[in-house]
Amino acid sequence: MTPTDAREIDLASMAAAIERAEGDLALAEEPARFLAALEAGAPADAPGPGPGAPSEAAAS
Amino acid sequence: MTDWTLASLAADIRAGRLSPVEATRACLDRIARLDGRLRAFITLDAEGALTTARALEADARAGRWRGPLHGVPLAFKDLCHIRGLPSSCGTKTPHYFFAEAECTAVHRLVGAGAVTLGKLNMTELAMGPFGDNAHHGDVQNPWRPGHCAGGSSSGSGAAVAAGLAMGALGTDTGGSIRLPAGCCGIVGLKPTYGRVSRAGVMPLSWSMDHVGPMALTVRDVALLLGVIAGADPEDATSSPRAAADYAAALGHPIAGLRVGVPENYYFHGLDPEMEAGVRRAVAVLEGLGARVAEVRVPDPQGITDVANIIARAESAAIHSRLLRERPQDLQPAVRARLELGVRIPAHDYLQALRLRARLAREFIREVFSEVDALAAPVIPAPAPALADVKAGTTEDVTARMKQFSRLTRPWNGLGLPAVSVPCGFSGAGLPLGFQIVGRPFDEVTVLRLGHAYEQAAGWHLRRPPLDH
Repeated sequence: MTPTDAREIDLASMAAAIERAEGDLALAEEPARFLAALEAGAPADAPGPGPGAPSEAAAS
Repeated sequence: MTDWTLASLAADIRAGRLSPVEATRACLDRIARLDGRLRAFITLDAEGALTTARALEADARAGRWRGPLHGVPLAFKDLCHIRGLPSSCGTKTPHYFFAEAECTAVHRLVGAGAVTLGKLNMTELAMGPFGDNAHHGDVQNPWRPGHCAGGSSSGSGAAVAAGLAMGALGTDTGGSIRLPAGCCGIVGLKPTYGRVSRAGVMPLSWSMDHVGPMALTVRDVALLLGVIAGADPEDATSSPRAAADYAAALGHPIAGLRVGVPENYYFHGLDPEMEAGVRRAVAVLEGLGARVAEVRVPDPQGITDVANIIARAESAAIHSRLLRERPQDLQPAVRARLELGVRIPAHDYLQALRLRARLAREFIREVFSEVDALAAPVIPAPAPALADVKAGTTEDVTARMKQFSRLTRPWNGLGLPAVSVPCGFSGAGLPLGFQIVGRPFDEVTVLRLGHAYEQAAGWHLRRPPLDH
């Protein structure tokens, strides 16, 4: 297998992975929801915003 | 000094039993004696380290303590921008990376009293899980020379395991903290995405990069995390959440915590010694009162594909100038990965980013409603021989790279905290390791579990056979 062949196979495999999964993506899905998912998934007793955090600074 | 840990050294300095200069000299002596064969450092700053140590010693005499790391010698992966020191990022170019401001994580550690010994070896552009480097030398595994130290934070793994530095920073885009930690028998934490600022660190993939601590024990890692975690206006992805007191939380018992062991993917195709070691570690956790259960996790191949597409497209964009102007300077496997990234269509990259959000949300909801943490292998086999991983065509090498990082990459895609903890040794004397993965921003629980296991098992007390 030549390097070009290997690259084409990798690209095709990546494209196929996207094609398999993208069908039922909600229209509202967007990359920033990843960070929102992490914040929402934090345990209830995890520390909240610290001093100087943007939300606190905006509130003061 | 081979009995020291970061925590014990810091306590000795605070108690006046040891001075910052003595600690720094001990590390420098050890580097001079051992690093010719280990190749852990790219840039050693002995003079700068001793100057800092003398200043810290004067401060200590005057009762001025800068923080919990006062006088502790550390070293940093050669992609952290530190004023006055070059950042080759493992490339042929000594000054490959420069940032306007010093690396935030390093800045915080130095502000807490750490001494900077120098910059550590790594795989070229942080691309590769084995720790080989054609420009700066292959980092050797301190437990068995000729074997991989793991990558890409190879120098960080080897330096800590060999006692050249009391702790180190690494970065992890697909496993680059946990793989060398697993190979070298130390502890390495990839924090939650956004927990530690990446400002001043060469990016490989801004969506997947994590900065984290590496050290001999979970307590050491917890101490380092407590210093570097927290919001940073210089990194737009850093979380506004305050850092916890990670070290103080280690003493809490783990009885009742629910630990899931994935029944799919993670234990398939493992080296038998590795599987046995990880399963024994899980049994120890159960013996300590954790409620262990097998769980089926959402197919890790989906998030692995997504993570690969994102990381390759972003790395190709970031390093496009090097690829365009000096491709001959790059190692063949690194060049091949960048060339692939250039060809990824924008559609696939953007869909991967959208899919990542959904996959993370689903994973967190499904898995962490059942368990508090997961325990899984971190490397599929003990550190392989360097000659074996470098043999064959570029395609052969690339295929091995994918295989070796298949257990760590899903957690970069999901952004979850994961700590690699040693769990024994193979018959050939190479470290075994496992990883504990938790909810977002729940580093406290993964470190508690890791610490409880470590204290019960005692593997952290062993040192590589380097002193004869």
